[in-house]
Amino acid sequence: MSTDNEIIERSLHSAGAFAEVFDRHARTVHRYAARRLDAGAADDVMSETFLVAFERRAAFDGSADALPWLLGIATNLIKKHARLEARAWKGLVASDLGRVDIDAIEQAAARLDASATARRIGGALRRLPAGDRDALLLYAWGDLDYEGVASALGVPVGTVRSRLNRARRTLRIAIDPGAARDEEVDHGRIVSASPDSL
Amino acid sequence: MDELSLLRRIRSEVDGPERAALDRGRAALLERAGAEAGIDARAGQGVRGTRVRGMGPDAAAAVAKRRHPVRWVGLGALGAGVLTVALVATNVLGFAGWRGGAEPAAADALQAAALAAVENSDPVVAPGQYLLVETDAVYGNTTNTEAGDYVSYLTINRDKLYVPADRSDDWVWVRSFREPYASFNAEGEALAQKSYDEEVAEADGVPELLRAPDAQFYGNSTVPDFDALPRDPQQLLNYIYKVTAGGGNSADGAALGWIADTLRTGVAPADVRAALYEAAAGIPGVEITEQVANLEGSTGISIGRVESADNSRQDLIIDTQTGALIGERRVELTDEGWGFPAGTTTGFTAVRTSVVDSAPEGGTQNGQFDREGCVDKGNGNFQC
Repeated sequence: MSTDNEIIERSLHSAGAFAEVFDRHARTVHRYAARRLDAGAADDVMSETFLVAFERRAAFDGSADALPWLLGIATNLIKKHARLEARAWKGLVASDLGRVDIDAIEQAAARLDASATARRIGGALRRLPAGDRDALLLYAWGDLDYEGVASALGVPVGTVRSRLNRARRTLRIAIDPGAARDEEVDHGRIVSASPDSL
Repeated sequence: MDELSLLRRIRSEVDGPERAALDRGRAALLERAGAEAGIDARAGQGVRGTRVRGMGPDAAAAVAKRRHPVRWVGLGALGAGVLTVALVATNVLGFAGWRGGAEPAAADALQAAALAAVENSDPVVAPGQYLLVETDAVYGNTTNTEAGDYVSYLTINRDKLYVPADRSDDWVWVRSFREPYASFNAEGEALAQKSYDEEVAEADGVPELLRAPDAQFYGNSTVPDFDALPRDPQQLLNYIYKVTAGGGNSADGAALGWIADTLRTGVAPADVRAALYEAAAGIPGVEITEQVANLEGSTGISIGRVESADNSRQDLIIDTQTGALIGERRVELTDEGWGFPAGTTTGFTAVRTSVVDSAPEGGTQNGQFDREGCVDKGNGNFQC
């Protein structure tokens, strides 16, 4: 199977070939945008992302995976919907946390807890500096690794690392103000950036 | 649960994009890609390597324009491209002329055709009569199979356009289904048949019939404003370079594509036809590609240009005795991996005109969209 850069290179001569990039990544781009905005706005962001990418394809950096590049474009386009995004954070509710598997006996308490948690997460996300929020959401929702986030945002990997640390700490404190604030244990994925690139 | 796991769960159950949204996004991309590919973008043909059929009704909105047999590549598409900057605002000074023109023999043939077009002038259409333009249009279709290969086949549309004596009156357009025309292997043959069967089933077996004043089919005029075109060949060519700037694989290819698209409508007045032939004579690289070319039984001289960017050739086939356009075609010179063997004519249009006393009854402005109860959202967009 062709890698993304091979397809994009082919599309320089045969423009229609770029449709395959769309077929591969449109759903992921849509999902990322829908989580930050809403389904309607995500339709537009998805469509526009590929139009922008198509126009800029000659400048694509040649990575085998075009997803970081595409999510970077989508992230930029989402900025145009800042108000909608702020509303989405404000309206974060328990159901947004998804299905929660809990003991039936604890259900009522858990629901209350979930509602409060959702509100606190929403508030924290809304107050995060835009750059930190973009890095955090590309990492958590775009499923990119540190290098992918760096490539998407056009910043060094070291910057991504510090932004993510900052954003995660803010979020952690928001969820549980009593938690140890200096806790640095990485509960998430193994950080994939190589040490020499930090 | 740590903050990242919690964050990952937020809105993790969002629905994926709806089929219609995907189709619209893809169609918009193809539209853009098509505009860049210039002559490839003729609607109905789709862009090579893609397929526009088989979409849900919602997606029909996005492809409304694609269903036109004629697309004005580059008209209004000013913008991108260095050319725009280089060209001055007037048609008098511009791109045409200072890079030479067509090969002498081709230029001679085009001049002869231009003269003949003016001498023979247009058939007289009396009030109540119609100019009937019968267009057989073959399009290349390419499908990406599950295995990742490209399979191609050709389909043909046999459309009839009835142009009223007074062009502000109702025009009538009978659009046929896309019948299988040629395929290159069993898989392509099966796909062509399946695609045709689906199209017929979708329309309950009734071909699309449109009726609209001033050719305003699907909310847009299907013919360009001929009055606005310069009649001086050099000014016309400059105008064409300007409106096609940034499109196609090359400026000259896009310009010749525009001329072919305009001629293939079959409704260009004789003086415009003549000016278009002469404008083509001003395009570098234009040459005689076949002395006696046969298109659906009619023969004429083939004059065209090889596009080195994608190894294809665009031809105009002209009866130099009468100045009539027999048709135009596109030939794939090498096998580019799309499933068309080298030398395949991947698209052509054969045009015949005559004067008739009547046109079919019935038809609506938006044809199939009206039949499906779609709402006209303006500017060629329909909500179904």
